[in-house]
Amino acid sequence: MKRLLSGNEAIFQGALRAGARYFAGYPISPTSEILQQAAAHADVDPNFRFLQAEDEIAAAIATISAALSGVKAFTATSGPGFSLMQEALGWGHVVEAPCVFVNSMRVGPSTGMPTQPAQSDLLQIKGGSSGDYHPIAFYPNSVEECFRLTVTAFNAAEESLSPVILLSDAFLSHLYEIVDLEGVETVSVPRTREPLGTGKRLFTGISHDKMGNTRTSHPDIYRDWFAEVKARHDGAARKVPLHEYLPCRGAGTLLIAFGITSRIVSPLKSRFSLFRPIRMVPVLEDELREITRPYHRIIVVEGSDGQYASWVECAIGRKVDRVSCLGGGFKLQWIRNQIEETLKGEAP
Amino acid sequence: MIDRSYKDLLKMQRFPHTWCPGCGIGAVMKNVAMALKELGWNHRNTVAVSGIGCSGRMASYMNLDALHTPHGRALTAAETIKTVRPDLHVIVLSGDGDLASIGGNHLLHTSRRNPDITVFCNDNEIYGLTGGQAGPTTPIGTKTLTSPRGEAYLPLRLNRLLTRQPPYFFARTSVFHLNHLKTCIQEALQWQGFSFVDIVSDCIELNGRRLGFKTAHQMFKWFDQRFHIVEGRRDHLEDDELGIVKAETTLEPTVQPVPEAEKKAEPKTETLPSFTLEELQRFDGKEGRPIYIAYKGKVYDISKSPLFQGEKRMRCHVAGKDLTREIDIAPHGEDLVFRFQVVGRLA
Repeated sequence: MKRLLSGNEAIFQGALRAGARYFAGYPISPTSEILQQAAAHADVDPNFRFLQAEDEIAAAIATISAALSGVKAFTATSGPGFSLMQEALGWGHVVEAPCVFVNSMRVGPSTGMPTQPAQSDLLQIKGGSSGDYHPIAFYPNSVEECFRLTVTAFNAAEESLSPVILLSDAFLSHLYEIVDLEGVETVSVPRTREPLGTGKRLFTGISHDKMGNTRTSHPDIYRDWFAEVKARHDGAARKVPLHEYLPCRGAGTLLIAFGITSRIVSPLKSRFSLFRPIRMVPVLEDELREITRPYHRIIVVEGSDGQYASWVECAIGRKVDRVSCLGGGFKLQWIRNQIEETLKGEAP
Repeated sequence: MIDRSYKDLLKMQRFPHTWCPGCGIGAVMKNVAMALKELGWNHRNTVAVSGIGCSGRMASYMNLDALHTPHGRALTAAETIKTVRPDLHVIVLSGDGDLASIGGNHLLHTSRRNPDITVFCNDNEIYGLTGGQAGPTTPIGTKTLTSPRGEAYLPLRLNRLLTRQPPYFFARTSVFHLNHLKTCIQEALQWQGFSFVDIVSDCIELNGRRLGFKTAHQMFKWFDQRFHIVEGRRDHLEDDELGIVKAETTLEPTVQPVPEAEKKAEPKTETLPSFTLEELQRFDGKEGRPIYIAYKGKVYDISKSPLFQGEKRMRCHVAGKDLTREIDIAPHGEDLVFRFQVVGRLA
């Protein structure tokens, strides 16, 4: 059945399709709608539980605890709330809790511009918590993809045993499109972790051995554990190297854009080749190297001050041009002018 | 023969534990394990949750599925486990700094939501694991690493915080008053709802010695002087009393009544005059004529509307017209129209 749905609604429906049975959250623009839907759904489905927590710290802890308890769980927030969730996110990586964190990006830092879209939480999602860890994150660009990628995120969470991040932005979360969700085919990975109450395990944020015994001064144990987790995350991520590449015949310039900016620049496909990463982290290094090779110039169009561009430079070992749409002003005309200006100058 | 079967509840293979000789945490953990054993709770139906700190290490020695959460977050984790798995018993083993300071917001809100979990707070009035800094429950005037001239502020009185409105279960006891400790633990475990046991405990190495005590035993004697047990049903605990205060939900929660929308009797329009659209147009408010509008087949007299006073129109609503379409797409509801008197029907 075709319906008019927003990105937020599609994310919630996607989570239900994936089998989610717990949501914890705290009201924040632009993801409050997900919290509201969870409240409404918990009212009609006794198997679905929800918590409006006292803050995002509690929401994130509750999500991870629910994941360990034995259900698929998720939470949703935006940049400022995600900053509060960083502590729990690090914990989720150490206790290996499969769950999904939705971060709908808005202009920051701090409260910033609550209703304006941005793409400036990339550094925050990649490594905002303390220590080393390897998160997986996806970023859709349409309402249908919000639905589809939510399921993908839950699957990646089960395979990597870690909190997986689904990115959105204030634009996409409130973008309404006609979609037929029943017609979208998805495959859901079943839950893998044994629920609580079945063993004598310790889920601790302290460095620990395989038995769960805390080991705070054993470098070897830490290195073994880290290598195993890293390999598992890489393996799970390698299964979903999602991206979209639209080559344009004769074009010497490649535009890299993702999420909502990729929709905005799509009319430029007759002049430029377009590349859209969907799996944002781990960065699609092989794909970027391969695809950018023939291009004379590469321009990254993004809603941040070059966060993804710097990752691209790292991956391909070349300088790239940047068009930064800051302050939420995502307008094709403005972007087109910026690209023209950039092309007048020397290649970096 | 002493019954040592409570050791099934402890990971004895992990002993010796990390705590200093003379520490009160051992007494807390052992008595909780004994109470669980007596109730027949085990790793199939019980989960332990801890925060951070010396006391936070308790969960890692319990022979149960246990969560060792980030600092202060034990209560949220425990509440969630109980929500998702009501079949499990959930106990929280943590300290005063973890539960009342960094986890203070969660303490307020988890206790307000009243999940069926039991919290054991090893209250040693100090941050022990980090070396002996003043905590939220450190008595005023106590010299610590961060209060070299004596703690400047009054301590947080958890009993007052947690017994502010029913339902509640709050017990204060100490590691010196062993029988009382056992009673409190057992009662708390069987309480339906959020129960909190504040266990006054000693930290000889990082608090007691600075206070001038030479042994843990001297600290226990100090507890004996400072506190006395009170029996029976109590409304509240004084600062020097050990006892249990509890209240079940006696009052039905008073739900704020939602004012019912004024229901006016459906006016019988059959007997009222009918208007054609042309006739309606004359009632435009000019020259002292009344203002009529039509909405869904009925004609309303809106002369008294403050928005139409002296003017013919209010934004897009024009007097003397059928406004069904305009009102349906207006930002306000149709209830604005129902306030007015029906004077006829649209032909």
